[in-house]
Amino acid sequence: MTKTYEIRKPIWCAGCGHFGVQGAIQYALQAAGIELHETLVLAGIGCSGTVQNNIGAYGYHAMHGRVLPTAIGVSLANPDLTVIAAGGDGDGYAIGGGHLMHALKRNANLLYVVMNNGVYGLTKGQDSPTAKTPLAAPEEDPLDAMMLGLSIRSTTFLARAITTRSDQLNELMLMGLQHSREGKGMAFIEVLSPCVTYDDTYSQWMNKVYDLDADPDYRNDDRGKAFFDLNRLIEQSLIPIGLIYHGEHASLQSAMLSDVTPFHSLEDQHAGHFNQHMEEVLSAYAV
Amino acid sequence: MKPAIYDISAAVDKDLLRAEVRDDLTVMVAGQGGDGSLTIIALLSKALLHRGYHIYRTSDIASRIKGGHAAALMRASTKPRGNLGDQIDILIAFDLEAVQKASNRLAPNSIVIFDSSREAMPPDLVPETALMIPVPFSRLSVRDLRRDLFKNSLGFGLLGRIIGLADKEVESCLRKHFKKLSSAQLEPNIKALREGQAFADKAGISGRNSILTLPAQAVENERIFISGNHAAAMGFMAAGGRFFAGYPITPATDVMNFLERNLPAVGGVVMQAEDELASINLVIGAALTGVRAMTASSGPGIALMLESIGHCGSAEIPIVIIDCQRAGPSTGMPTKPEQSDINMVTRGGNGDYPHIVLTPGDPEECFYGSILATNIAQRAQCPVILALDAVCHDNFTVPRFDLERARIYPGKRVTESDVAQMEEYRRYAITEDGISPWAVPGTRDAMNLVTGNERNEWGLVTTEPDMRVAMVDKRSRKIETVRPLLPKAVEWGDVNSPLGILGVGILGGVMTEAAERLAEQGLHFHCHRPRTLWPVLEDTIDFVNSHERVYVVEQSEGAQLAGLLKSEGARADKIVSILKYDGLQFSTAELVATIVEKERLA
Repeated sequence: MTKTYEIRKPIWCAGCGHFGVQGAIQYALQAAGIELHETLVLAGIGCSGTVQNNIGAYGYHAMHGRVLPTAIGVSLANPDLTVIAAGGDGDGYAIGGGHLMHALKRNANLLYVVMNNGVYGLTKGQDSPTAKTPLAAPEEDPLDAMMLGLSIRSTTFLARAITTRSDQLNELMLMGLQHSREGKGMAFIEVLSPCVTYDDTYSQWMNKVYDLDADPDYRNDDRGKAFFDLNRLIEQSLIPIGLIYHGEHASLQSAMLSDVTPFHSLEDQHAGHFNQHMEEVLSAYAV
Repeated sequence: MKPAIYDISAAVDKDLLRAEVRDDLTVMVAGQGGDGSLTIIALLSKALLHRGYHIYRTSDIASRIKGGHAAALMRASTKPRGNLGDQIDILIAFDLEAVQKASNRLAPNSIVIFDSSREAMPPDLVPETALMIPVPFSRLSVRDLRRDLFKNSLGFGLLGRIIGLADKEVESCLRKHFKKLSSAQLEPNIKALREGQAFADKAGISGRNSILTLPAQAVENERIFISGNHAAAMGFMAAGGRFFAGYPITPATDVMNFLERNLPAVGGVVMQAEDELASINLVIGAALTGVRAMTASSGPGIALMLESIGHCGSAEIPIVIIDCQRAGPSTGMPTKPEQSDINMVTRGGNGDYPHIVLTPGDPEECFYGSILATNIAQRAQCPVILALDAVCHDNFTVPRFDLERARIYPGKRVTESDVAQMEEYRRYAITEDGISPWAVPGTRDAMNLVTGNERNEWGLVTTEPDMRVAMVDKRSRKIETVRPLLPKAVEWGDVNSPLGILGVGILGGVMTEAAERLAEQGLHFHCHRPRTLWPVLEDTIDFVNSHERVYVVEQSEGAQLAGLLKSEGARADKIVSILKYDGLQFSTAELVATIVEKERLA
């Protein structure tokens, strides 16, 4: 077998939640039987933006905040690939926040995992958009990306997990991966992944999570009710986790990819229909 | 003496109906946006293209849906010119503002057709020897056809008679132009055309009794009439381009529009992104999989993309970027041409990174340049920028593109069977030519890491000093590897003259004509138009340094092109800058006068 890069050991601090997230991604890939060479893991900038080095698949270190458009480009250009985009809450909700709503709206076949710790680690401890009581503006409420996801009508898979409940995290990760592989669209999973160095929220979050999967009255296929219930839980200072919403909507691929030719091949270039098409295009400009 | 005003209801002076032969004609039609100025010029262009003339067509419009002053201009000539004539030979003005704007450019013997529905003729604004023809276009159109909309067809009917086009010819142009209209929409236009011709009849302008005539010209090669944007988009397709993402911005949107119409038919994808950052990163995503991908924007959008362009230079991702330059900075003047992104596209972005910038001068060069850009991006695994100026939206007659010349060079791509023969695979292997073999995701046993951070050969991030230097040097070598493939400058004029004129892009046309006229005055120039902006090629530096004095003509206040040449070894004492940044294009007369004046003082 051809030797390729040596899989890196994670750079994270002992106790960092990200270990659990990486483990869940690896579990899901294995459980779904997806080969590493057919997988591209894209990660943004930040502590979480090193996860692609630790898995053994193809990896891409995206520009800060741009992991989603890049992942969408990949998923359109080669729909055979398994596309996993990962990043932190700063990468996904601050500098990349503008892309998130459009990615949710487009519903491309990919899995997006946000490792949310409420803090910027690499730059040493600044508040992120999900920080509970930002120093600079304590009156601001933190962003809730699940509420954002629910408000966009073409979302198809929204889930939140916490690294301390690894069975649920693994299960949601597998479901999300399968959702995207089956062409149902984008699976968006936010994982509460505490930073032990700058904002150790383990005990705080463990006490505040509310498991929707364990609530028999919660309906994850009812967008309106889900929004209402999440809002109520947030008002009670609880953090809803579990499969928040699961629905159906045409994926970006089903809307945009044509079956005229294999898109990612150039073999059609000198085939008859290409030349004919080009001649027709050119003829529109004939004098 | 005031110019004669001819009442169209009375016969025009017989002396004027001499069917004077012209081989070069510049026509302007202007009014408020929505008046139909663009339509009349499009129709006239079509008619004169059929007669075998070279056409250059441009417009001067406001960035809004309707209204605002809008002018469409075209020049028909027996030689390919790529710019307007100095003076306007025929003006159709739908309002007073149109006459005011054209006033100082009207030829002494110009013909001014003025819509007299609302305002009186403004004789003070036109040369004494001009022929003025008031026509109440708007009033007649509303009276007889119930819609102001049809005045353009009416105007075209009259114009056809004035320049000696046969009624049949004119009608066939109109029918072809409006072929997508229903007959209910087409018929009033035909009626309007006839109405225009009926006016001409009253004035005795018909058949051979025209004011001007443009005899049919023999055409040797098959020609097309196309803008730089469309040509560049077509070149991208022909070179195997299959993915485009963009965000609407004048004057680059046309590239996206073209590809939306044409790329899906060959299995390609066109996406309108939420902003330029998304556009270029969608393109990066597609490019990572080995698909040939491109984005297009204008100055403000390119400024947003700079971080990503540098990232592609570092991470060795092949993408093509079209920059349709417009007057800056920032939002600047969205519909006005400039060449002031030169600093940004050659030196923009943080850090040092390999990239290439081409600057085509006409739609033909846009087509072949785009093919080259798409192939070189793959070959060198780096970003390639096509820096267009007004050439992006102006239409030119050029020889029909030869699709056979569109070859696809795959570059150093590694397939699964190649990998099976390798003991190890390093994405960023340090090679002599600076280009590493590339296996895209999906290739068995060739898993690799792509990153814009500095890295080792495996793609693992490192700041180790020796590796950093080795990687930077490797990336820099790839430009040397592809340098021989980069288009050299076009040179013409007097090779023995110690005096030179140098400029890029669309200025080729005006430089050519200025040099011709200067030669008539005994001032001989050697002309040089670089087609590669970055890296600056040696032939350009040699050109400057081997002449006594070189006029560097450019559309920017900051003399960006001259600055670039100086920084790459051109001697500052050889360069005399001629700069224009008023949002208008250079005219030949203006360039000639400036050079004559500077030569007098030299």
